[in-house]
Order: sequence, then C-alpha cells, then structure tokens
Amino acid sequence: MASNEFTVPAQYEDLTPAPNVDKKTLNRMVWRSYWLQSSFNYETMQSGGWLFAMVPGLEKVHTNKNDLAASMYHNLDFINTHPFLVTFVMGIVLSLEQNKVDTQTIRSVRISAASPLGGIGDALFWLTLVPITAGITSNMAIEGNLIAPLIFLIVFHAALFACRFGLMNWAYKMGTSAIDSLTSNMQAFTRAAAIMGCFVVGALTVNMGGTQINLNIPNGTTRGLAAHTVVVSNEEAENFADLAIDTETAEAGTLGMTDEDGTALKAADADGNVVDCGIVDLGNGMSSVTYGEVTVSDVSFSVASTLDTVMPKLVPLALVLLLYFLFAKKNFTPIKGIILMLIIGILGALPLNEWLGITWWTGLW
Amino acid sequence: MEANFLQIALVFLVTFVAAIDQFDFTESLYQPIVTGPIIGAILGDVQTGLVVGGTYQLMTIGNMPIGGAQPPNAVIGGIMAAVFACTLEMDPNVAVATAIPFALLGQYGVTLFFTLRAPLMESFRAAAVKADTKAITKLTVISEVILGLIFAFIVTLFFIGGLTAGQAVVDMVPKWLNNGLSAAGGMMKFVGFAILLKIMMSRDMWAFFLLGFGLTTIVHGIPSLAKPELLIMAMIGFGLAFWDFQQQTELKGAAFDGGDMSDGI
Repeated sequence: MASNEFTVPAQYEDLTPAPNVDKKTLNRMVWRSYWLQSSFNYETMQSGGWLFAMVPGLEKVHTNKNDLAASMYHNLDFINTHPFLVTFVMGIVLSLEQNKVDTQTIRSVRISAASPLGGIGDALFWLTLVPITAGITSNMAIEGNLIAPLIFLIVFHAALFACRFGLMNWAYKMGTSAIDSLTSNMQAFTRAAAIMGCFVVGALTVNMGGTQINLNIPNGTTRGLAAHTVVVSNEEAENFADLAIDTETAEAGTLGMTDEDGTALKAADADGNVVDCGIVDLGNGMSSVTYGEVTVSDVSFSVASTLDTVMPKLVPLALVLLLYFLFAKKNFTPIKGIILMLIIGILGALPLNEWLGITWWTGLW
Repeated sequence: MEANFLQIALVFLVTFVAAIDQFDFTESLYQPIVTGPIIGAILGDVQTGLVVGGTYQLMTIGNMPIGGAQPPNAVIGGIMAAVFACTLEMDPNVAVATAIPFALLGQYGVTLFFTLRAPLMESFRAAAVKADTKAITKLTVISEVILGLIFAFIVTLFFIGGLTAGQAVVDMVPKWLNNGLSAAGGMMKFVGFAILLKIMMSRDMWAFFLLGFGLTTIVHGIPSLAKPELLIMAMIGFGLAFWDFQQQTELKGAAFDGGDMSDGI
C-alpha cells in the first residue's frame, strides 16, 4: 500500500475567512453525519465517516486545493464521539475551518469537544430513550401488536432528527460568533486547546485503555493448618488426643492435634484467627475437640495485581508512550503502529504452554 | 422446512441492510423488534417473528453498545432467532437462547472486522492528500458494502446450513487466536491516541497529559463515577485550559494596565 507521508502545515495558505456556509450545505452535512461510523475501525475509530460528513462544508470553506487536502488529511485524526451528537462537534469544527484557524488548534478542539459527548449520548439515548421506548413496544410486540415496531421507530427517529439538526445549526452559529473574540488571542487559545487536548488524551488512556497483562505464574504451594471444632462424647474425644503429625511433610487432609514432640498445634480458623488445638471437657459427658487439618494450596504470582499496585492502567500508558516515541522520534507510520499492536496481541496469546510445555505461561491477555 | 430461492435472497438482503444499519443511518432498523417480523414475513409467519423479535429485544435492553463496547451482535442474533422460531417451530424463548451463540460469533466477527479495517484508513489518507472528495465517498460506500456483504453471507450460510454449520465455524477459530485478536483490537486505539499526542505535544504539554492520566485513574477507581467519568475529566480539563487562557491573556493585558495604575497613584 502506498505510504502517505504528509505533513499538515501549521497554517492554511489562504488565511482569509470564508463567508458563512449556506443552510443547504449544513443540511447536507447533517444527512451525511448519519454515516459517521461507516468506516469504523480500531485505529482512528470514526474518522473516515467524520471526514465523509465534513466534506461538503470543507469544500465550501477551502477554495485553495492545498488547503482542502491539508484539512481533509487532519480531519482523519482519531475521533470517537456519540453518533447522535456528532453534529455539535461538526458545527464547531466547521466554524474554525471557515476562519482558517491554525490546524493544530482545530485538531485539539475537535478531540476535546468530541470525546466527552460519548457518555452524555449514551446516558440520553441508550440508557434512557431506547430502554423506555423499546421496553414498552417489545411488550406490545410479544402480545402480537404489529404497530409496536412502528411506534419504536417513529419515537426514536423524531428524537434523533431534532437532535442532529438542532445541534448542527446551534454549534455552527456559536462557533462563528465566538470566533472573533478568540482570534484576537489566538496564541493563548491554541495553547489552551492543546492543554485540553492533551488532558483528554491522558483521560482516554485510562477510560478506554482496557489492556492488562493477565499472566498468572504458578509459584509453588503453601502449607497451612485449618482448625475444625467438633463436639463429641468424652470417649470419642480420647481418640483425638494422640494424633501427632509432622506438619512439614504430612499430606493434605491429614488431621492432627499435636506435632511430633507433643506440643499442641496452632491452626487457623475460618476467620483466619490462630487457635490452639486441644480438648475441652464440657462437663456433660461431651467434649469440644479442636483439631488441625493440613492444607496445601497452589500459589500463583499475578502480574496484573502487581502492576496495579505500581500504577493502575500502567500497560495502556506504556503502550501509548511507546507508540508516541515511535511516531514522534522514529517516523513510524500509523499502519506500522497497527501491525505492531497486532503482533504484540497475537504473540501474547500464543498457547506456548500447549505447544512447548512451558507450564508457567498462561497467555498474556 | 426447505427454503426457496426467493426466501434466501430476501434474508440476504435484509441482513445486508441491517448489518449496515447497526452502526449507521437509522441505527434502529437492525433492532430485533424490527428484523423479527420482517424475517417472519419472509418465512410466512409474521406473528411468530414479531413475538421472537420482542423477546429478543427485551433481552438486549441491558446490552446496548455503550462506551464503544461490542455487545453480542443483535443483527445476527435477532435474525437467527426469528429463523429458528419460524423454520424449526421453536418456542420464542428457546429460539432466542439458541441464537445466542450466533450473536456471540457475530460479536467476535465485528471485533475482528474493525481490527482488519484499520488499513483502509491509509486509502482515506491517500485520497485526502489529493483533496479527492469523490474518493472519500467511494471509499465510504465500499467500506459499508463489504460490511453488509460479510454479514449477509454469514447469516445466509447459517440460514441454509442451520445449527451444525454455525457450530463448525465457531470451532474453527482456535480460542488463543481469538484472544490475541481481541487483545490487539483493544490496543489499536493507542495508535490513534499516540498520533494525537504527537500533534499536540510540546514540552509544556506533558504536564497536562500526565494530569489527565493521573486524575482519571483516581476517578476510574470510584465505581459510582464510572459513567460520568469522561465528562468530569472534560470539566477539569476545560477548567485548566480556561484558567491558562485567562492567565495568558491577562498577562498580556497587565503590561498595559500596569502603566495606567502607577500613573493613577
């Protein structure tokens, strides 16, 4: 595949703000926003669909072909936002593009505005609107009512439609009117946008970074004594009195009262408290006998819990920093980064314990 | 029941549309409550399809695609449940339960597909460099058609082959490879993050990346804050950015104001 080394210029060539985009173009963008996830992938998530939705506006705003190319290229950055609220981000970004703001600022604003919308959108749509409408209409459907799916579709889409068109127009208007006060302090604004952008990427690393090394290395066994207490008749209690064992060598399940020198054993009860083994005469012909049972349990060393005590989300942080290093210092292309992740993922999952008999290997993931 | 050619073609078509719709366009036609009665109509039993669709829908309410997580695939699950109920005359609840392995298979398939689709972005970038807006449209269409075809082929195969064929496919992919691919899929987003960092990063900015990371690990450890986590972080981030903006602009203004003040005194 052709390598697409392209450096996005810091500023557009044509810095004259473009006239306002007409309503028809905004509407076209709203309709295209329905295809936001058309090229969804794990590298840049919705970026392909985002660019597809932005194209009508970008064409209007950038009459210079080089600027259009630069704008299209950086509009393919990683983006993951809520499909139903995306027009809000589109309106803001379009207003920035129209005013030929520095490309880096546009990129920072886009990721900062887009990322937090996911939670809001999920709460509004998937956790509120869908459960309520689907809950009512599925019950109607189970009763055999054919209108049910129609009601579901109509309610759902009326809400979405209003949302998409409303947000697009509102955000675009807000962006274009706020832009004047912003451009007079452009440098500070760019800096502020980068601060928020870097902050949000740090937050996303934790929020979306689920990668963890779930390797458990068997680390021998541990021996213990579990205390059990029974109440038996005095005669039967006699049978317990001389149960002497060697706690270091006895097999799991062996019962004992004293060690080989005749000293009472100390065992751990169900709550983990240490109790002495021994026989207590209850005075009514019965005795309470506390004896120890030898336990042997496997111990394994969990890489995940050790890493978590150092720092939760250490693995996602390390991977992001590694990739940053490769991209920033080693001129890695995105595709090389993806292939690297694929290799790490598959290598980490190889069943070496089955293939090579490496017993401690349980797979990284 | 022997399916005739028209029925197979219609199931193929419905799945094709539903597969695309699950991520785009209406994001609701694919819901089992809609696909159930449609599949029912194709197989000659609208009522059964409707009831199965409603049953499956209730099951999926707690299983929404929230936070980018892939739930068991409702397109394959919903359609297969309706197929089972209508062709094998299964009870709706049994049909839904039988369809679950197929929904899980769909879930793995989607994860794998999203991982393998990442290289397509290179073609998008190539089109962007040439400012070729038509190519963006073309790539978008191609991307969607491939998704739709994969789903349609798989569901049609299941439709024709039935239960045994489904199990055979599930058994074909070894578990470790599945693990590895889904782990790799989970790591792909770091590529996107790292590219964003490369764009925005300067020496001053490391502080804010680390602040964002550190503060989020704290919020992440509090279960009751899991849902609004990113919104909380966005507020803190915005607060920092806004404060910095004011500092930067006021410093600039202070140089002038300072002179005025000393004159006044």
